[in-house]
Amino acid sequence: MPENCEATITLTGDLHARPAGALSVAAAKFSSTVQLTVGAAADAAGGGGGGGGGGQADAKSVLAVMQLGASSGQQVTVRAIGPDARDAVETLIGILSNATKVGD
Amino acid sequence: MTARVGIVLVSHSASLAEGTAELAGQVGGGAVTIATAGGTDDGRLGTSIDKVLLAIRQADAGAGVLILPDLGSSVLTVRTLLADEPDDLPGPLEVADAPFVEGAVAAAVTAAAGGDLKAVLDAAQEARHARKL
Repeated sequence: MPENCEATITLTGDLHARPAGALSVAAAKFSSTVQLTVGAAADAAGGGGGGGGGGQADAKSVLAVMQLGASSGQQVTVRAIGPDARDAVETLIGILSNATKVGD
Repeated sequence: MTARVGIVLVSHSASLAEGTAELAGQVGGGAVTIATAGGTDDGRLGTSIDKVLLAIRQADAGAGVLILPDLGSSVLTVRTLLADEPDDLPGPLEVADAPFVEGAVAAAVTAAAGGDLKAVLDAAQEARHARKL
């Protein structure tokens, strides 16, 4: 039974290369699709955006996650759809809250 | 834990290969073997079939190896080696047509997550479409 689950967190640090990598490695282990949305971008345009102005990315694509350019103070919404959606959202929110603390 | 896909970075420059391996390894969380074949056997800019062969052996953990060349004759060196089909070459092997840094980072992340050789190859090659800005 596919679930649809989402949660939002405010970043306490920038989403640099290493936390982006940790996020994508974790996301790829779930069978659910996992999307990240930054800032106020509410439409499903995907791809574009970034540069701090918001955007969407497939959490399993580390290059797309890096391209978001999500920075400290911005809101990131994790949305997952699939059989393990709840676990995926919980895990990724955990990584976003921890990994962005160390910075770099 | 099942074996992960290994990655070989082939560059004209030893320091370019090593620096890219360091970056991709860190983004991938250190869970993947990334071997390098940079420069000629006598330390100049260029490529070496022997170095590529050694790197493939180092990167192989039983789940296949993705080879990522940087430019021009790196590709030729890899192709020449694969065409020779040395008996003791580990396999399966794939060669990625991808940008060097982005491809290495994307491949390392997918390999770290336990992706198979096809998934790691796809991740590297999708990096061709990744935008920076």
